[in-house]
Amino acid sequence: MRLNDVQARFKEIMLDHPDALRTPGDDFAALFTAGDIPLPARLSVYRNNIVGSLTDVMVAGFPLIDNLVGRAFMEKMARSFILENPPQNGCLNLYGEGFEHFIERFEPAKSLPYLADVARLEIALNAAYYAPDDTPLPPDALARIAADSLAETILLPRKAVRLITSPYPLEKIRDFCLSSNKDRAETLDISTGGCHLLIDRPALDVRVSTLQKSEYTFLSDLLAGQTLGAALEHTLTLDETFDVHNALQRFFTLEAFSAINPK
Amino acid sequence: MGRSPLQGENASSFPPAQPPSEPVGIGLRYPYYEEILTTDLPLGWLEVHPENYFGGGVHRYFLGKVREKHQISLHGIGLSLGSDQPVREDHLRQFKELIELYAPFNVSDHASWSASGNAHLNDLLPLPYTQESLDRLARNVERTQNYFGRRILVENPSTYLAFSGNEMHEDAFMNALAEMTGCRILLDINNIYVQAHNHGYDAYAYIDTIETRYIGEFHLAGHIEREAGKRTLLIDTHSRPVKDDVWNLYAYALRRHGIIPTLIEWDQDFPSLDTLVGEAQKARALIQSATETEISDAAE
Repeated sequence: MRLNDVQARFKEIMLDHPDALRTPGDDFAALFTAGDIPLPARLSVYRNNIVGSLTDVMVAGFPLIDNLVGRAFMEKMARSFILENPPQNGCLNLYGEGFEHFIERFEPAKSLPYLADVARLEIALNAAYYAPDDTPLPPDALARIAADSLAETILLPRKAVRLITSPYPLEKIRDFCLSSNKDRAETLDISTGGCHLLIDRPALDVRVSTLQKSEYTFLSDLLAGQTLGAALEHTLTLDETFDVHNALQRFFTLEAFSAINPK
Repeated sequence: MGRSPLQGENASSFPPAQPPSEPVGIGLRYPYYEEILTTDLPLGWLEVHPENYFGGGVHRYFLGKVREKHQISLHGIGLSLGSDQPVREDHLRQFKELIELYAPFNVSDHASWSASGNAHLNDLLPLPYTQESLDRLARNVERTQNYFGRRILVENPSTYLAFSGNEMHEDAFMNALAEMTGCRILLDINNIYVQAHNHGYDAYAYIDTIETRYIGEFHLAGHIEREAGKRTLLIDTHSRPVKDDVWNLYAYALRRHGIIPTLIEWDQDFPSLDTLVGEAQKARALIQSATETEISDAAE
């Protein structure tokens, strides 16, 4: 068997149902020397290394979901995700992207409709944590843009900046999960309203800020590369009371941008 | 690409890469960041997995701080050099960015594969030791060396399976790889011990077969034993102290091949930094004793 086929078959068995290790097929078994140690026991070392290490990565990357559903459920859900969505490269820092879509389809999690949005939040937090380092525009940079060119100005967001919106109060869910002196009987009312969140990383620590809906719309447009004028016009159609100067002042104070009119 | 202010105050003034003044190093891992910066370590160097430093943020910040004081090696786990497909360009690019930023004295990865098609199985998987594998591996090693503009080291893996179609022994395979590509061998002493047990061969003969001129680094780590059928399999977990038998094999390798930079690896169930440094001190003592034996042999 050619190396390419050996590796493809090995991969299939590693990502197959666990029972596949017990009956790997005669042609596959013939690739290996027989000995005192049965082939399934040898294969299972690799399988455990692969699925076990990736499960650890998932548990570490989704601490809120782990907290909400419990470790056994989290591991079960992670294992199913891993077999369907193995990593595509050798860097696992961002592994777990796509978990939100998996959760939406994962039958045992159907009773927890907010779970996929919690995954979206955790993916954004993780992406911000590992985002490439860059230098923010200082808060006073806004004042240096000539008034007559403001409308045509494009602002480049820093690489850590992510926006999340949800019909569920994600920041309250997060605080609830992270609360260390949580009473086991304590509950959280998830019908208390949705949220619009800005996730970024000013220096080394990831930060979550709550936005107004109009601020969220405006910043979404800027993130998509629209000019200040176009973003403002769009936002005013949704909220005619939107105060663009306050919003920009706030984003510059948060140091959300890295460049003006990037080439 | 320039350094951002977050990656250390003295961004452009890291000490140049050079062979470490002390031969023994340890793996720099997240739980040790703060302590390593505030402790005067009796260590020659620190090793990191570059994949953990792709992107930016807190990990790079600490790596920059550490690099101001220590020599480092970048020991890859994600290039998948042994795959029957080219090493990924984006992985090479991010790895090279770290080489340029942090000036490691050694750069390495493994004689194993992880990627098949678009799936990257997160483990160091075994290769059949055939001419075909050797050619594929050599091509990826050459591609990597060309991309980095420097020689890399390639480590012998721990394996739990042996291929019936092997055309050569692993030790000969490693020598041939070094001969073909100009790479150096990163000789993992624990991996040799683990495989000698798992596949029933002589670990000392393996050490003898590897050519001294190809060896660029030694690795040491702890393993565990697992029941499997009528026997036990040794599993290279990097989660325990180095076993006595492995220390003996290391002492033999030092006598056979000389003093070579040596890393103590520990990647799971992290011990205290003191324990890890204690393991490094044991390696240092064996180096000392090998040096003294050499001197007394020469005097006779």
